[in-house]
Amino acid sequence: MKVTDFKELLIRSLDSESDPVTTSAKIEEAGATFRFSDGFRDKVLEKIYTSGSAVVSEVEFARNLNSVFYRIAFSGAAAIVILLISIFMIQGSFSIDSFLGLGDSYDESIICLLTGN
Amino acid sequence: MIRESYRQKSENDLLKASLDGDKQAFGEIVTRYQNMVARTIKGMLGDSVFSEDIGQEVFIKLYHSLSDFRGEAKLSTYIQKIAVNLTLNEIKRRKRFFSTFSQKGNNEMHEFEVADHDTEVRKDASELVSKALMRMDPKFRIIVAMRMLQGYSTKETAEILDLPLGTVLSRLSRAQEQLKSILGKL
Repeated sequence: MKVTDFKELLIRSLDSESDPVTTSAKIEEAGATFRFSDGFRDKVLEKIYTSGSAVVSEVEFARNLNSVFYRIAFSGAAAIVILLISIFMIQGSFSIDSFLGLGDSYDESIICLLTGN
Repeated sequence: MIRESYRQKSENDLLKASLDGDKQAFGEIVTRYQNMVARTIKGMLGDSVFSEDIGQEVFIKLYHSLSDFRGEAKLSTYIQKIAVNLTLNEIKRRKRFFSTFSQKGNNEMHEFEVADHDTEVRKDASELVSKALMRMDPKFRIIVAMRMLQGYSTKETAEILDLPLGTVLSRLSRAQEQLKSILGKL
């Protein structure tokens, strides 16, 4: 097909009355083909299934991290409970002074402690 | 041998198998529709490495949205919509890039040598089509690519692009005028 005829065909392909299937087939027949390179399919599959396994390992890592956080949280909570119990046993109450270790101290003895007199 | 058996499977079977993680089944879907996607993307963006990347992105997106596909539209229409959206995004991105970093517009991105008018077009047909399309307004370009390269009817084009039928018809007519003028200069 000559270039001029091909150009005519391209213009005619946009006529609302033309049959789009036949015209596009003629255009392709004239050499206007658009294709991806060889191995396109394999590249797509590789990307999908490789990134898929990456996603799986990411999810596994997140799960492992979660379980580690739970363990830390539980042991932390247990330590706080033990501390509270020991404070209660030593000081006999849950007042702020008990928490600060000042349960059995008087103001005068603190002053003496701080000034050394 | 295995690939041959997948070739005979129906679209629904391939979709179900792909959802179950069958790599070969999804590979067959890619094989069936890759040329259709190539025509849309290369028609709109020209023949470049980016076109291939976007083509891959289309199928990756399709794979991740397989569970959302309910079969209300044809699979080809669904894939076309993904291809069109990703290509339009790329055109927008390029426009932003070129307007930021260069004085050159989108039209100057692809330069081809086109054969003389009396020579056989076969060798240069794709280049001539690409060159003409690249010089068109993107909103016409997409309509022309759907009609000229894919052979879609006005109704199918309207469905894929989510446009009213009247809009497609009027754009088609204006695109024809623009194409005439562009081809006259090539």
